[in-house]
Amino acid sequence: MEEDAVWQSVLGEIELTVSRGNFVTWFKNTQVLRRDNSSMIIGVPNIFYKQQLESKFKPMIMELLAKNGLGEISLEFKTHTSTMPTKRPTNDDTEVVILSESPKKTNREMFSGNGAPSLTHSYRQGLNDRYTFDSFIVGSGNEMAYAACQAIAQNPGTKYNPLFIYGGVGLGKTHLIQAVGNAVLANKKGSKVVYATSEQFVQEFLDAIRYKKITDFAGHYRNADVLIVDDMQFIAGKEKTQEEFFHTFNALHQANKQIIISSDKPPKSIPTLEERLRSRFEWGMIVDIGAPDFETRCAILQNKATQHNIVLDQPVVEFLANQVQTNIRELEGALNQLLAFCEMRNLTPDLSVVTGLFGTHRSRPRHMNAKQVVERTAKHFQISIEEILSPKRDKDIVFPRQIAMYLLRSELHLSFPKIAQELGRKDHTTAIHSVEKIEKELHFDNILKEHVKEIKEKLYA
Amino acid sequence: MKLQVTQENLNKALNNVARIAMVNKNALPILNNVLIRTVDNRLSLSATNLEIAITEKIGSKVQTEGAITVPARLMQEYVSSLPSGILELELDEHKLHISTEQYKSTINGVFADEFPLVPEITKGLQLKIPLKDLKKSLQQVVFAASSDETRPVLTGVLLNTQDGSLFVAATDSYRLAEKKLLKTAQDISLLIPASALQELLRVLPENTESVEMHADNQQVLFKVGDIELVTRLIDATYPDYKKLIPTKFSTTATLARDEFTTITKVASLFARESAGSITIKVDEGAKNVSITSIASQLGENTSSADADVSGTGEVTLNSRYLLDALSALGTKEVSFSFNGKLEPCVLTSKEAPGQTYLVMPLKS
Repeated sequence: MEEDAVWQSVLGEIELTVSRGNFVTWFKNTQVLRRDNSSMIIGVPNIFYKQQLESKFKPMIMELLAKNGLGEISLEFKTHTSTMPTKRPTNDDTEVVILSESPKKTNREMFSGNGAPSLTHSYRQGLNDRYTFDSFIVGSGNEMAYAACQAIAQNPGTKYNPLFIYGGVGLGKTHLIQAVGNAVLANKKGSKVVYATSEQFVQEFLDAIRYKKITDFAGHYRNADVLIVDDMQFIAGKEKTQEEFFHTFNALHQANKQIIISSDKPPKSIPTLEERLRSRFEWGMIVDIGAPDFETRCAILQNKATQHNIVLDQPVVEFLANQVQTNIRELEGALNQLLAFCEMRNLTPDLSVVTGLFGTHRSRPRHMNAKQVVERTAKHFQISIEEILSPKRDKDIVFPRQIAMYLLRSELHLSFPKIAQELGRKDHTTAIHSVEKIEKELHFDNILKEHVKEIKEKLYA
Repeated sequence: MKLQVTQENLNKALNNVARIAMVNKNALPILNNVLIRTVDNRLSLSATNLEIAITEKIGSKVQTEGAITVPARLMQEYVSSLPSGILELELDEHKLHISTEQYKSTINGVFADEFPLVPEITKGLQLKIPLKDLKKSLQQVVFAASSDETRPVLTGVLLNTQDGSLFVAATDSYRLAEKKLLKTAQDISLLIPASALQELLRVLPENTESVEMHADNQQVLFKVGDIELVTRLIDATYPDYKKLIPTKFSTTATLARDEFTTITKVASLFARESAGSITIKVDEGAKNVSITSIASQLGENTSSADADVSGTGEVTLNSRYLLDALSALGTKEVSFSFNGKLEPCVLTSKEAPGQTYLVMPLKS
């Protein structure tokens, strides 16, 4: 039953009348079970409470009820399980179930009660409630993973089990899988969601061996309704832990409990991952999270700025989104840097501030080389590599060649002689001229700007 | 209140009663006190933690009636330090003076009317149980109850009648203990917190014939001699454990309990890192039972004992559960029976017909 207003006001007065110990002990765990015009039934934890309330506090309660306009009511106390002081509902309908199979080193359980109440707080360790689906920005790179996670959050254990999400650093893997955990907890109170990084898993496993608490350890993980393991790649090479995880995996999978795993590589590319684990990871669904596209990055920035109660101009957002192209964590870092900078100097974050702050800083992914830049540019303009490297001076070849030179300069910071060499020119002055020309034209030529932006995006994607 | 009481009697009663007040986690300070009052020319001591209440009455020479509560720990420790002899208790407002010839002290008490009332049972079932039988049965069963508060139903011990007999049973879902207590025509089904029964075992005196049990659907009272223990009942449906106990077995080995215990203990030494996992092989041809355990770092062990065997088989168990069951069984011979690797193992003995232990296997 819902909170009863009259009873609440009676409790309020009692709290002021009796000592705190008395109030906490006798009244904290009471609730109104039923009330109509002539009677009121109060639920209490057990017979000890009933006896005490009936014999010691009833006159006081009656008086207070009368004060609240319930003078003629008959008052009764009844023991009621949901008012147990431990706040844990009892298992009324424990069914006898023999589990089909149980993993090694675990005791087989005779009963698996469905209503087994849980210590929700200890089972939500590691979950950060900041990470929700609402705060996740969906873009082309991650919509597949997002959809899969949404489906799982609705019906954990039935679809896509296990779910294996992989992708580079700072692309939102942790956010997504934590969002599943939070959503499951929100949908069904008392669900046991266990979140751990694989490193934590290893550490706890080692501790369990050391302190001979293997059963506790296994119990914690194997009783989970949803098990989320982050950064699975770190389990590579740790054989015993892999074995333990393998058994945990089997136990949960067999009981139709949801398993979600994230890693920076697909299972096939994790070295020294045991074959039986690999094949199991590939059992359910594997999705990757790609780098966010430009629009997604802008949306993320806007969203983060809103969280800080700051409105960013579109040019600023676009500038930042271009600055950091591959990693959302860095993107957030750049934004935080900007906001801190502005706050300290009391500036509004406009384009001049941003360029001043980030103008010198260029992100240059390690894996990008000159050849890729040239190839990308050629591909973008639909000409062949041979053509762009050839001595031809046709306009539709010269233009891409100049852009390539500009990009080699702006993105890879190559020297002019090196740039000339990359494009098969002998004279570095050609390179100087080309870079300068494009730089100048960029200021007023929007079509050129578009081209450069698109090539850059492809380069960083 | 003014009275005289012997140190021996008061000390014994405080030992029985005060403990539950000393380990009390309730917010109400008075629950850490023991209630001392005069009842019909006797002295009554009570303590409660709002799940269990214990009261013991002792003989005393009462001059004036009265009641007070005093801190249980201080009272118990003080009285136990006193030399044996006659103590004089006198109450002055809320100050209790306790004195002998040499020792004189005053303990500040709290008025007795603030002490919670101990529930009384007016109607309901009544049963007289021989003390020896009750004590033994509880000792042989209570250990199997779970201490995991998240599944309250398994923290209880079930007293249940079936086919005219009263059974005591407990399980933590990994192992189960059952014992036939006595024959009765009454229909009983009580789920009593194991912690309360452990407390009962602690206070059961030696020199009494029987225990009176009174119960309604919320509480049960055990009355033995001058001691009364009241506990709440667990309000939940106990799983139908009888279904789990197999009646037919593919493999049975009967052997001396001592020997079985020894080889299990030896094997458990090598099973420490594997959560007590030992593998028991029953061989009909060799007519023996052999136990193997492996510690990947330390080494391994195999020991065997001769046995009467029917059917060959192998099963992996937690050695601790097996040792618990073997020690609780307490007979000369024991029969160890099972059906394959995944079904429950059962320990019984012809010498103790009403006793059954069940251990769930580990899967290897």
